[in-house]
Amino acid sequence: MKTTHRTLFVAVALLLAGASPGLGQTMDEYDAPTTVTIDSLSELYEPVIFSHVRHTKLAGCKDCHHHTTGHQDMHPNCVRCHLHSPPSQTVSCKDCHTRQQFYPEQVTELSNPNIYHIDKPGLKGAYHLNCIPCHVEKNAPSHCEGCHAMTDAGKDFFYLTDKTSATTKNKDNRVR
Amino acid sequence: MKKLINRRRFLQGSLVASAAATFPLAKNTAAATFEGYPDSMGVLVDLSRCVGCRSCEAACNKEQNLPAPEKPFNDFSVFDELSHGQKRRTDETRYTVVNRHDIPGLNHPLFRKIQCNHCLEPACLTSCFVNAYTKTPEGAVIYDASVCVGCRTCMIACPFNIPAFRYSSAFDPKIMKCIFCHDTRLVKGLPPACVEACPQEVMTFGRRTDILEMGRQRIRENPAAYVDHIYGEHEAGGTAWMYLSPVPFEQVEFNTAVPKEPILNYVKDFLSIVPMVLTIWPALFTGIHLLATKKEKMEQQKKSEGSES
Amino acid sequence: MKTFIENKPATAIPIVSHLNPTGGQWNLKEKLWLGLSKQEYKEQFLRNPVNWVLIFIFAIGIPILLQRYIFGLGSITHASNDYPWGLFLGFGLFGMVPLSASGFLLGTTVEIFGRKDFTPIERLALLNGLLGYFFAVVYLLVDLGMPWRLYYPMIVSLGPAAVLFLVAWHVATYLSVQIAEVSSAFFEWIGWLKGKRFIKSITIGLTVSGIILSTLHQGALGALFTYAPAKVHPLWLSANFQWIHFFCSAIFAGLSMVIVSAALCKRYMTWRCDNQFLHNIDRCTLGLGKGCAYALITYLVIKLVGVAHDNEWAYLLTGWGQYFMLEMALAVILPMILFAYGVKHQRVGMVRFAAWISVFGIIWNRLNTSMICFNWQMYQEIPHWKEIWATITVFAIYFIVYRFILYRLPILYQWQGER
Repeated sequence: MKTTHRTLFVAVALLLAGASPGLGQTMDEYDAPTTVTIDSLSELYEPVIFSHVRHTKLAGCKDCHHHTTGHQDMHPNCVRCHLHSPPSQTVSCKDCHTRQQFYPEQVTELSNPNIYHIDKPGLKGAYHLNCIPCHVEKNAPSHCEGCHAMTDAGKDFFYLTDKTSATTKNKDNRVR
Repeated sequence: MKKLINRRRFLQGSLVASAAATFPLAKNTAAATFEGYPDSMGVLVDLSRCVGCRSCEAACNKEQNLPAPEKPFNDFSVFDELSHGQKRRTDETRYTVVNRHDIPGLNHPLFRKIQCNHCLEPACLTSCFVNAYTKTPEGAVIYDASVCVGCRTCMIACPFNIPAFRYSSAFDPKIMKCIFCHDTRLVKGLPPACVEACPQEVMTFGRRTDILEMGRQRIRENPAAYVDHIYGEHEAGGTAWMYLSPVPFEQVEFNTAVPKEPILNYVKDFLSIVPMVLTIWPALFTGIHLLATKKEKMEQQKKSEGSES
Repeated sequence: MKTFIENKPATAIPIVSHLNPTGGQWNLKEKLWLGLSKQEYKEQFLRNPVNWVLIFIFAIGIPILLQRYIFGLGSITHASNDYPWGLFLGFGLFGMVPLSASGFLLGTTVEIFGRKDFTPIERLALLNGLLGYFFAVVYLLVDLGMPWRLYYPMIVSLGPAAVLFLVAWHVATYLSVQIAEVSSAFFEWIGWLKGKRFIKSITIGLTVSGIILSTLHQGALGALFTYAPAKVHPLWLSANFQWIHFFCSAIFAGLSMVIVSAALCKRYMTWRCDNQFLHNIDRCTLGLGKGCAYALITYLVIKLVGVAHDNEWAYLLTGWGQYFMLEMALAVILPMILFAYGVKHQRVGMVRFAAWISVFGIIWNRLNTSMICFNWQMYQEIPHWKEIWATITVFAIYFIVYRFILYRLPILYQWQGER
């Protein structure tokens, strides 16, 4: 009788171990936080309250996280190297895309002949370049204040005379 | 200012002058093989990413302490402003502008940022007779207002029509142009204000050699998205600020007739003959003078001989 | 002046020597007032209709010039960043400098080539050259953003690889040469013969310097446009030969300007000219006309060579090409034919007419190169009316200085005192 208990215990433990997202296991939406406050670059605009759970209904993991969650991006430029890439240690944008883009450390990195991704955008660029095309396509907000309100510092920066309204004659005509 | 010249001093003077004229040319033999400073920085501007938000204009205005603009920087009616039928250009209040271009066959406009291209062999620098411009090792073409005389030859020479003159000032006019944020950022290895401000990362900052590599990679990886040409790689002898475009560059009002060699090459022919004239003309015309007056001198001699006998 | 001369004894005015009718010497003040009393001077001044025009020009022009210096260039021009150079340089520098080439041309002809038969107009040509260059510098002082820094390329900060550096140094040096050459007339007039003798001793050196400096800066003014190879219309800009085109055209420009000045002096200042001048002026005019004809045919040929060298024949079929051919026809071919015919058939009037056309033709060519055909693919810039008026005002100042000197110094007449 004791052996069966132990076997059962081990089997359950293994099952549970297999179910948790350790290394080598593809992630899914339940592994992500519900909301993320993106504030590492806030100065001219307020922090963005990003609803992660909502976006998991609209897009696949790979659409934003590349191959880092274990789901493969089948774009021909990616699969030639990453077809069998496992999930990474980190999937958060800011862990790969630096806030200090074009600062001396990053510039010297570029001349490293062993790096393929010499065209990796910084954090601010990554957010906008990744998010906006899809927003435009799906008719989600694509102008600046659609995602983050302007701060007073921002209003000074843009020389807004009317401090109450930040979007004056905004004619963003970008349509993809 | 009367210069009193006698023959000896004149000959000495012309020798010194021709030596002085050849001296910069002698330096040029080293310049002919100079390939640029190794850490010379550059910026690659990707027109397919620009959405015309004008954050770069605002950032430049703040960084360079330029005067307050007529309209806020997120007022996009500026894209409809025309002066003499032309879109906006740099002037004494702005070092950079973004213009909107409606492209036939494309369902959205393209936006293009204009600023000094920081050429490798700048025409402004070579045309300046008070040496007001310098191409720094970091790659910026900067300007020294303390020696400028206001002759505006640099404005004539620049193939991209960038330098602007502060005509509104009587006692402190000067050239106003983008300086690559040299004093405040470049010397510290930091990117210029416009590059840092851009949300779409339209501009990539790095060593010119590196960003050329990166630009070529971008074209290679997305051949349908770009015209296979990096504007500024060879134009005007190569510029530090270069462009990628999704459509032919003429459609975004780039001047594609800019020669693919430094502007200075067009002036070198004349500069070379200067020492030749300085050294040959004296002998030539003295010789002509002797030939022309020979008959007269012979007659005089005959007369004096005749009067003696 | 004519009336005064007719009414006064022949020994009095115009002043041709140091001695005055009473047996004493004219002093400097009297020489300056042309030997007239203040009342008489004022009378002759007001009688001259040209002076009324000048007063009108200055009444508006002087305030405009003051406005330029107090409020900046933007207050009297369109402050264009696309067209940084306007009339002050287009006419004042590029237009007047080739017309002032007469100095080195006649100096060379008389002193180097030994053609003493041109001596009667030599001084007029030298004065024409000096004043033209001097006022080119005045125009520069109006145009420069910071005219008080004019001397900077000399001693403060040198940029020797620039063409403008050469222009600056050469104009400065050449002005000195010309002042020295004209000073012999001045020394005669004030009676300091030691100075005159000194100048005479270095005349060959001065003249040869003059040729060297003139060749280079006349060419350099053309070479300035090679800094903008994409901006000047190809038919007006030859990357290789621009400097030669400018130098060659300066030759007939200078000679034509002397013909024109001499004709004006003969017609409107006859009282000031002596017989040596009046009897020889027609012969000299024909001789200069011959030189102009040769220079014009040479210029036409080297212009065609320029078009062929850059393979620009296709441009001739465009609108700009037609404008180019019009300029060639009116400013080069027409005067060339008139000069050749006039010289051959000894028709002085025709040579003078050709010279007038030639002078305007040169100004037209320089305005084309620097302003009209500049930025030919862009909008055309029309100068602000104040800029035009200011240009005319400075030219009027040039005119009155020219006339002031001609009225007094022994340019058109020979000094009867010791020489």
